[in-house]
Amino acid sequence: MTKTTTIEMHHIDKTFGHDTSKIQVLKDIDFTAQKGEMSLVIGPSGSGKSTFLTIAGGLQTPTAGTVTVEDTPLTTIPVKQRDALRLNKIGFILQAYNLVPFLTVQEQFSFVDRIKGTTHMDPSGLAALLDDLGISDLVDKYPSELSGGQTQRVAIARALYPDPEIVLADEPTAALDSQRVAVVGQLLHDLAKKHDKSIIVVTHDMRLEQFADHIYEILDGTMRQAS
Amino acid sequence: MYLAWKEIKHEKLRYGLIVGMILLISYLVYILSGLSFGLAQQSTEAITSWGAQSVILDKDANTSLQQSMLTKSQTDKLTLTKKESYVGQTPVVTKQAQHKNVSAQFLGLDWAQFIGTKLTLVYGHKPTKANQVVVDDAFKTDGYALGDKIQFNSNKDHYTIVGFTHNAKIDIAPVVYGSLSTWRDLKKLPATFTASGIISRDADYSTGIAQLKTYPVSTFINKLPGYSAQNMTFTFMIAFLMIISLVVIAVFLYILTIQKIPNYAVLRAQGVPSGVLVNNTISQALLLVFGGLALGSSLTALTAKLLPAAVPIAFNWPMLIGVTAGILLTGVVGALIPVKLILKVDPVTVIS
Ligand SMILES: Nc1ncnc2c1ncn2[C@@H]1O[C@H](COP(=O)(O)OP(=O)(O)OP(=O)(O)O)[C@@H](O)[C@H]1O
Ligand SMILES: [Mg+2]
Repeated sequence: MTKTTTIEMHHIDKTFGHDTSKIQVLKDIDFTAQKGEMSLVIGPSGSGKSTFLTIAGGLQTPTAGTVTVEDTPLTTIPVKQRDALRLNKIGFILQAYNLVPFLTVQEQFSFVDRIKGTTHMDPSGLAALLDDLGISDLVDKYPSELSGGQTQRVAIARALYPDPEIVLADEPTAALDSQRVAVVGQLLHDLAKKHDKSIIVVTHDMRLEQFADHIYEILDGTMRQAS
Repeated sequence: MYLAWKEIKHEKLRYGLIVGMILLISYLVYILSGLSFGLAQQSTEAITSWGAQSVILDKDANTSLQQSMLTKSQTDKLTLTKKESYVGQTPVVTKQAQHKNVSAQFLGLDWAQFIGTKLTLVYGHKPTKANQVVVDDAFKTDGYALGDKIQFNSNKDHYTIVGFTHNAKIDIAPVVYGSLSTWRDLKKLPATFTASGIISRDADYSTGIAQLKTYPVSTFINKLPGYSAQNMTFTFMIAFLMIISLVVIAVFLYILTIQKIPNYAVLRAQGVPSGVLVNNTISQALLLVFGGLALGSSLTALTAKLLPAAVPIAFNWPMLIGVTAGILLTGVVGALIPVKLILKVDPVTVIS
């Protein structure tokens, strides 16, 4: 089976600040993700995992280097096109707070229908997803009425609902117990294997290790493959 | 619109307060402009009801019908058409044993001329004798009725009310229509005087007499006692109110938008185009302003109904539409100011 590259990053540098307060968060990072594979990026807090993931998804631009998503060079296309790419190809599971506070769980999904129009899960697919994640009973609740773990699972469903080619997840299991971690790990793994998606998870949760095809480690801004 | 509406529904208190604020502002503007128009009408109602185009006065009368006098030697040289009417104006206090005194404006007419023939009555009939008068229906609120015999000032003569007419006010006082001879009696003038002036429905009526001048009716109205000053006062009040409400509404919408930036960042991270968010913000502002205006105008209508008849309040469509459009525009401008912020929302801010 030939591999199809979804995300390709070359020589990525990222620095914040100027002059004396300048810090280099990412140094010369090379990274590729394939369809049908799940990659895990681990590293201690503050090591630059979120920064790496947001650059991969086009939310931030790197200081140097190139990012290519499905043959589109992210760093050179206009903002509008980047938005469209995010809307159509990429599902972000953000580390914190990525639900719209004034929409119920059900409305978080129907809003996707309105904006995206096509290519999202059918109702039975959504029902199965909610069931897997154990959040079927929560559809009429507002985000403020959910616990941390429930919010996280709804956020995962929200990101997967548009049926994106690429899923970028930032600490998707931080608020979950081991049982739920296994469910989410298996879910993401299945997405890669059965639906040929490209999954990238950044985390310091080692419980996800068993579900990944590749594991990378970020330390002091540099990345190396761990297995 | 979807997001805008959902958000309003979820944050009822916050948006309710803003709608309430717009309600109060629009209520105030509506009432003020209603009072302004109502008061202005009290100066001009009668003149408007005649359909006057020009007013002919003595050129040294300072454009005042009350101050002007036309002598018989002048008017003998004139030929009046169907479009001209003599009017003799003098302020009077009407007295009647059972009712309280009313400050009014007496207008003496030649009942065969157009003002007299075109006058519409709500009750009774037009005078057939010199001692009969038709009065504005404001007299009814003071208890006057058909057949009442009234006196003017300290004069001995009695006059009988034979008819009521509607919308007859001039110089902020109800009108008593009588005859030109009564006008002369009240002014204690000899028969060598004809009237105070001539009202014409012809904008270009000219007398050919050097001492008499034809004024366009707008000039005449602007010179009515207090009319311009009062209108200017109201105009300034309303204009300042509009400017202040622009600032207040804009500030509120600005704060509202700032508070929503984190939500917008979430949506931007999901790939929602900023155009959708800008649209959302503006349609939300319009919803709020429309809501406030609808409630404000309902409250105004209710108030106008409940106000005692003595309070002059009146509305006309051009004014209502102007005020409403002004407030709507205010809302849109207020919503547009923070648009730059929305366009600049950085989705990365919600990452960590
Ligand atoms: N916008 C920014 N401006 C300045 N410094 C930043 C900015 N964003 C991130 N950093 C810094 O970059 C470093 C890496 O941040 P990042 O959020 O990528 O870490 P992380 O690995 O995701 O940590 P965690 O596990 O706690 O989420 C941190 O030292 C952080 O302070
Ligand atoms: Mg992070």
